[in-house]
Amino acid sequence: MDLNRSHLGHAHFWMRPITRRTFLGSAALAGGVAATAGASLPQLARADFDGTATVFPEPIPGGVAPFGIPIHHFPPVPVLGPGPINEPSQITDFNGMVGVCRVTGAGTATDETTGATSRLNFQVDNGFMDGLYVGEDGRTHHGTFAFI
Amino acid sequence: MDLFNGAVGTNQVHDFNPGIRDNTHLFWTQPIAGDAVTFNLEHGTASLAADDLDEEDYHNLHNALLDGPSDPASVTFDMRWDAIADPMNVTDSVHRFTGRFRLASVRIEWSADAPGFHFVSDPASTTHNVRSVIGRERNGVFFDD
Repeated sequence: MDLNRSHLGHAHFWMRPITRRTFLGSAALAGGVAATAGASLPQLARADFDGTATVFPEPIPGGVAPFGIPIHHFPPVPVLGPGPINEPSQITDFNGMVGVCRVTGAGTATDETTGATSRLNFQVDNGFMDGLYVGEDGRTHHGTFAFI
Repeated sequence: MDLFNGAVGTNQVHDFNPGIRDNTHLFWTQPIAGDAVTFNLEHGTASLAADDLDEEDYHNLHNALLDGPSDPASVTFDMRWDAIADPMNVTDSVHRFTGRFRLASVRIEWSADAPGFHFVSDPASTTHNVRSVIGRERNGVFFDD
């Protein structure tokens, strides 16, 4: 795919310090993972599990091209066929659990300079992938990834 | 995670995502802690939650797809999938993925912060589900397993 490779002086999140990044990790949530993901994954996955993945996966080979710009992603809609759903994963060489969504709604924005508030509408296409994957290093890993 | 000053799809003002990975073009995908996800396909439930997750604000989709200028931002969200249909087995030999999936409904509550800006969504119960899926799948080198 001939994707635009230009970057205009900003740092992607993975290049920045991770001090702001914290995650919800309640005991109930962690217990749910242990009872579901851990029980259903093969031995290799559990043996290689390291909490937060340190090796990135490779993208799915296909995708769509909004504005004529090819991306490695299929949106939940429209369904492109031939099956009843589009590929929900963003990563290839993957064996695991996946979720994706498109939802809309509304909320309140605040301009922190003036204190003014306004109503905005949102669309969220989020998802997750959790399981075995072949990483950029060519090795098999277990990891959890969010599609934001 | 997109915000619009008008109907969805018009006058977009914020676009929060982690960016497109430079070397592989992995699309808007970032590692998260394993305990951010819960999943039970037979019960038809899944959840994804993150607190103060580092993102970039590209402000609109076109700029985001071009990986144009962006501001540092963060998002916090708590979302839940609940199945609305029975499990179905799907094999797509064109796109080479196979698995067992369920159509679902998602509710989300989220917030975002960018320089001088804060957004908080209405309660999760007000979410409008367009289309959502959960499943267990194999693709790529695992497709033929």
